Formats: sequence, C-alpha cells, structure tokens
Amino acid sequence: MSATAVSFDLVRELRGICGDEYVRERPGGGVYVSPASTEEVTAILALANQHRLAVGPVGGSTERNAAELHVDILLHVNRLTQIDHYDHADLTVGVGAGTTISQLNAMVGADNLMFAGDPSIPERCTVGELLATAGHGPLRHGYGAVRDYCIGVHFVTGDGRRAKGGGRVVKNVAGYDLMKLLIGSYGTLAVITCASFKLFPAPRQTRTFLAEFVSAEEAVAFRDRVVRSPLSPMCLELVSPVARKIMRPERADDAWLICVRGAGSDAVLSRYQKELSSAITRELEGDEERRMWRALQDFPQRRDRADDDMAWDTNHRLSITVPPHDAIRVIETLQGVASTDEVEVGMTGRIGVGHIQALVWDRKPGASDALRVVVDALRGNLDESITMKVDGAANPWPIAPANLASMRAVKQALDPNNVLRGRDIF
Amino acid sequence: MHLPTVVVQLRKIAGRDAVLDRPEDLMLYEYDAGVRKCTPAAVVFPQNTDHVAEIMKLAGSAGFPVVARGAGTGLSGGAIAPKGGIVLAFARMNHILEVDAENMRAVVQPGVVNQQLSDNVAHLGLYFAPDPSSQKACTIGGNVAENSGGPHTLAYGVTVNHVTGLTVVLPSGEIVRFGGKAAENNGFDLTGFCVGSEGTVGIATEITVRLLRRPERVATLLGIFETVDDGARTVSAITAAGITPAALEMLDGWTLRAVEAACHAGYPLDAGAVLLIELEGLAEQVEEQAEAVRQVCFQQKAREVRRARDENERELLWKGRKNAFAALGRLAPSYYSQDGVVPRTKIPTVLQFIEGVAKKYGLRIGNIFHAGDGNLHPLILFDPRDPEQLEMVQAAGTEILECCVSMGGSITGEHGVGLEKRNLMPLLFTNDDLDVMLSLRNAFNAAGVLNPGKLFPTTRMCRETSGPSTNPLLMAEGM
Repeated sequence: MSATAVSFDLVRELRGICGDEYVRERPGGGVYVSPASTEEVTAILALANQHRLAVGPVGGSTERNAAELHVDILLHVNRLTQIDHYDHADLTVGVGAGTTISQLNAMVGADNLMFAGDPSIPERCTVGELLATAGHGPLRHGYGAVRDYCIGVHFVTGDGRRAKGGGRVVKNVAGYDLMKLLIGSYGTLAVITCASFKLFPAPRQTRTFLAEFVSAEEAVAFRDRVVRSPLSPMCLELVSPVARKIMRPERADDAWLICVRGAGSDAVLSRYQKELSSAITRELEGDEERRMWRALQDFPQRRDRADDDMAWDTNHRLSITVPPHDAIRVIETLQGVASTDEVEVGMTGRIGVGHIQALVWDRKPGASDALRVVVDALRGNLDESITMKVDGAANPWPIAPANLASMRAVKQALDPNNVLRGRDIF
Repeated sequence: MHLPTVVVQLRKIAGRDAVLDRPEDLMLYEYDAGVRKCTPAAVVFPQNTDHVAEIMKLAGSAGFPVVARGAGTGLSGGAIAPKGGIVLAFARMNHILEVDAENMRAVVQPGVVNQQLSDNVAHLGLYFAPDPSSQKACTIGGNVAENSGGPHTLAYGVTVNHVTGLTVVLPSGEIVRFGGKAAENNGFDLTGFCVGSEGTVGIATEITVRLLRRPERVATLLGIFETVDDGARTVSAITAAGITPAALEMLDGWTLRAVEAACHAGYPLDAGAVLLIELEGLAEQVEEQAEAVRQVCFQQKAREVRRARDENERELLWKGRKNAFAALGRLAPSYYSQDGVVPRTKIPTVLQFIEGVAKKYGLRIGNIFHAGDGNLHPLILFDPRDPEQLEMVQAAGTEILECCVSMGGSITGEHGVGLEKRNLMPLLFTNDDLDVMLSLRNAFNAAGVLNPGKLFPTTRMCRETSGPSTNPLLMAEGM
C-alpha cells in the first residue's frame, strides 16, 4: 500500500483507537496519529499489520523530516509522557517516550541531578527519538552514549507484541539486552513507549577552556594532549572555522577551536588551567559558557540562514564515528571535499571519542549531490572502521552495514511484515 | 552421527591432542563455580576462528549441542552442558591479537584471562575496566557471554560498556563481524546485543575492547560501622552527596571476620559492617571526595574511617574483598551465591529480609556485595552432600531474589541467568517479553544448538497463569 492509499475506513478505525482529534490526514498522503498509551500503539500496529501499512514512529525533532519517511502512518509519540518511576535517591528515572529532554532535565534538575543526553533542540527532541537515533551531544565525551545509561525499555514490536527489556536498576543482566538492539535502530524494529535511565549528579561548578589553532592537525594534537592528561572533562569538542561561522557569524575567524569543559571545585578547575596552560585563549563561565554549549548542542539542527552566502535549504547532517586516531583523516577528507567549488562542510564533534558532526551543503543548490560526494570521499579514504549516519534521511545509513544479513534476521524476528519504516531500509 | 564419529571429526578439525572424550577427563568440565553438574560428551580446544566455524558446522549436522566455555568460573551454570554435547573450551585461544594504544583498544581471543589483559597493557598506563572477583582466572570470552561486572562497575559500567566489536561464529558456521574499533555501529548494535546473550546467539572468537587510562590518584577508604544498617544507609548518603566512587563494597560483620581469618586484610574483627570505598581521578578531586566521604561516613555513625596509606595496604584491602568467596569456603563445604539487585536505597530493607530468611531456614548467610549499585551477593553456606540442605538453600535463594524483584530490582546483576536462574525469569518478564527474546534467539539459533537449556525458563511461575503456554515458540522450549 502506498502512502496515499490509506482509506477512509482505516482513518475511521484509527480515530476509534486514538480519538478524532489525534488522527489527521497528511497533506502529502497518509495519516498522522498520536496515541496516548501503549495499548493504543499496540492497536495501531495491529491494524498496520492487518492492512500491510508502513508506520514511521517520530518525535518532536524527527517529525521535521517526516516528508522523507515514505510511510502510511506517521506515529507521533508526543502524548506518551507518563512518569513511570522517579527514584531520585537511586539516581534512576523512567519516562514515556514522548517526554522531551528538556522536560526530563527540568524534573531531575530540581533534585540537582542531570540526564546525560543532550541532543539538539532538547525542547523538541523526545526520549524516544534520542533512543531510536542513538543521538548525542557534547556530554557524550564525559558521560558515554545513551546505550551506556539506558537501563530499561518498554516497546511494541513491529508485529504488535508489547514487551520490555532491562528494568529500573542500574545493574542488571537478566535476559537479552534489548536496549542495545533498539537504540540506534531508527524505529525499524519497534515503537519505544517508555524507557528508564541512570541519572548523574549535576556538577556544582563548571568552566570551559577554549584553545584556538591555525590547523585541524594542531587542534587534534591538542585533543591527544587532553586525552593523555589526568583530566577527565565533561566535554571535549572540536569546532571548525566554518562551523564557527555558522554559529556566531559576527565573531567568526579562521581558527579551529577545541572546547574543554571541566567540572569541580576551584582547585580542580585550577588544575585544568595548569594542565592546558598556554594553549588556552579564553575561559568561559556562567551564562556565556551555557550559551556556547547550547549553540554547539544545537549545531546539527541549525536551520536559520546564518550567512547570505550559505545555501541552507540543502544541508545534510552527517554523523561520523571512527577510531579516535582516525579522526584527523576524516577531517582532512572533508576539508579536501570542501576545497572544491561545489560543496561546503562545517564540522563539530566529540573529537575525544572519534566523532565528527558534519553539516554538508551544496554551494550552488542543485549543482551537485553534496552528501554523495562527501560519503564517497570518506569511503575512499577510510577503511571499513568508519561508521556514518545521516540524520533525517529516509535511510540513515549511507553505507550499507556489513552485517545486513544479521540485521535482516533481527528485523524478521520483530517485524516480519516490514511494517516499521521498511520500504526505505529493508 | 554417533559420538565416536563426531570425536574423530573434531580431531580432524582441531588436532589429535585437542579433543577430550574419556570420562575422567570430562569430569573436569562437568561443573563451573555454581552448584550444578552436567557431563559433556566431548571437549574440544579450537585454536582459531576457522576451527570454531568448522566445529559449529559439524555439531549442526550431527545434532550435538555446543556450549562455549572460558575458565569455568561462572556462577550461573552458563558454561556447563545440561544436554550433553560438545564443550568448546577456549584455553588455547588465549592470545592478545593487537594492542592499539593510540585508539585505546585491544583485540583479544576469548580465552585471554581478564587480569592478563590489564597486566599486558599496564606499561602503557592503560587497563581493562571490568574486574570480576575472579579476574585472575576468568576469561574475557566468559565476561562477554555473561556481561560480567565487578566492584568498579559502579563508575565504569559492565563488560558491554567496554566492548566495541566482535567476530562471531553463528550456529550455521558463518563468521560475521559486528562493530569494530569505532565507538558506534553502522546499523543495529549487534555487538551490544550479543554481549550478555550467554552463548545462545553466537560464539565470539575475537573481541575488540576499550581500554581506559589509569587514574592519576586512587584513594581507598575503609568505613567501619557498628551495625549493618548504618553501613547500608551510608551507601545512599554518599550518592546523595553527589559522589560516585569508583567502587563501593560492603561486607557484613560475620563475613568480614571469616575473610580476615583467611586473608589477614586488616579488617576490624569487632565491626558490624565495613564499606570499602575507592575514589579515583584527578588528585585534587580525589582528595576533596575522600574528605567528603569521610564526613558522610561519620554522619552515618561510622566508628572509624581508615585510608590505605600505600599500594600494599590498598591491595591487601582488595585481596580480602576479592577472595571473600573462597574465604567462606573454609566454613562450609560449599556455598550458594545469589546475585540479586535492588535500588540502592532498599539495601537496608533487603538485608533485614535476608537475615529473616537465614533464621527461617536455619542457614548461615554472609553478605559481601557491590553496595554502590545495589548488587547483593548473599552467600548461603551448606553441605551439598545433603540433598535436603541443597533444596532448602535453593528455596532460601529464591525467596531472596523474589524480594529483590518486589523492590524493583533484578535476579542477576552480573552473574547471568544460565541454568541457575532460568526458572526465575518469569518474576521479571512476561510471556510476551520472553517470547520476543526467544524469537531473537531463534533468528540466530533456531535449532537451539548453542547453549540449550540456558536463560529461558522451563517452567511457568508465580504471576504467570498456570497451564501450558499457547505460544508456539515457548512451547517449543518446553514452557
């Protein structure tokens, strides 16, 4: 069934499940539904299986790319906002998949705790999409990926089974680790309805140390120095000159920037100063520091025209991860591509763990396929250890995963009718 | 295919001296560190991934189950063969294939001993963080299968947080590669899914692990308390103070006296409980945290807080902790170790419950555990030659785990489900949950060749409705 073939009867059935006001026909075809419970999600998926409809789960940010998803039913999780448990003394919380990251942080922040997921636009990004996309922001360096602090997940499989993995305690190896399987699966296996997480004590004091370099090579050498030092910063972020221009066009220059965010007492932060010494060009605290990190956090989702010369409408968001030592080769490859007249690339990233977030766009819209040019160049210059994801694309993996046969086996086990986002990926 | 033919074929694959089939040799492989025994039909020692693939193909065609085994230190029966078959012992696949210091990764074969890896990279200032108490013997392959933890899990996570790639032999004999040295995957995180799957999905033959840098300073404190309750409340109080120690272990008074008699670790013989607290990191930070922890301990009625003055004292304190299970072996012919988890604020309540269970059954139960993450290890002493005692001990263990689950916890934090706790899985998981897990197992291991009889329950229990399952997948497993 195509995205335009959702019948009136089906719309009526969906309205019977979710209520009239939570089912809308989409202008381009297909239906938008917003279930309020796991039971409603289960019923929607049962219906989709019965009629072989394609379902695309979305949250507040991925919804922006809904046009890219070739699905009959756009299933928005924004009404799944229940608090399943909040055990602040145990540093754990469980919330509905539609809870936004901002809502979650507001709740736990009142108890001086912190949720370590910091994706772009946390006011829009939901817990469900953070998990489905394995999203992360600058805190990834110091606190790990969401796979490291998600301790339990409730979900409905593509074939409509309600199930869970993990639990609500911080250490638990009972049963298969279904969290790992669902995190980063882009909603192709199941609709996540609720998840539990470890929380962290919020730092009482932080300071950010900025170091500028004339070349990426020097910046990466400084990264190595920080990683080999006794310091354990919360964040260690690289910013390219083009990315700086995007974020703060009025203050841009041609330097590469490394941002080191430390947390601790005055004595600890003084030690940061001592270790980083002459490389530091500036220190930030308070509101200025918060603004800078928020700009970095939101960098992948920048949609405003920062500069008249930048053709924003066609930008692609490419998240690249390599073994840390290979990061310089990624940067050099992207610089090489950007040295042509056609493609521009802005880079940030968790450089300490080998991550580069690239915004890629055509200088002259329509002149080239900027994303393809960049992906091909990276494939040519790096071995199979490179991993890439394109945020918001119909198929998030621009390189076919090497283990596609095993992925298909898993897909078949949980979504045999290929209901969840199947057409674009499997 | 009959066993003698299979043994001949195994020798052709792995070598004449790489297969055991005499009863007196097989006896060594009929147990692990748990309480059950099952004798395999044969034991084979592969030397490389191709051997494992060939053995899997042979086992599949001959209809023999395959159980992978590291050092046999597991506590859940994961490495024993309840349905006979071939034990794949990794003692000869024990090489560190690569140390990539620049990327802080190592690639190892599954038979590499946990401690051996850390020793091997110590000169680079690196180490492998998962540190089960059996780390001097247990293998990294076993750690991967069970998703093992250890005292320093509190700060650094369990094995899955330190594995970035696997080479896996599937039951079909196909060799697949999941992940690599990068911190993220292309496609599904099948690496993460395989870790902790207890050898039921595939067999890892090469493991890429993350190495960590040694901290600049380590402070090891011993908080001494008059009562178990005071010690238990201190655990939550330390967390509430915003401090996450690298390790936070607890021993009750009875256990620490037994340990002290065996190990001479310097534990006070008259204490009600001790907390072993380790802080790691930047020197300034560690010193501040050490002082803060001291204050919290005293606020919670600690009698004394000692700090290891040097590495020797530190090692001695840890020697007591890591050898505690063995030390209790001096007091009874055997022990039954539980691995329940509770939210850390529930530790005082569950310890009282355990005391009640000990009284109810007239058993001696020692508590030595990873208090910081609520991972309890009640050790129930008994004599396995007395079948009545074994039955009683298992009943007591089940009551304790039921209590853990009722408090929002789990039946296992690091030992795995295996044979030991498979029938307790319905305490945590519904039929639908288990059905989903089983369909995933069957995606890779439909014939149940790999480690059969593990992880999935054979009975229906407790909250579940009585009567046989109507689910065909569960029925196929005898549920």
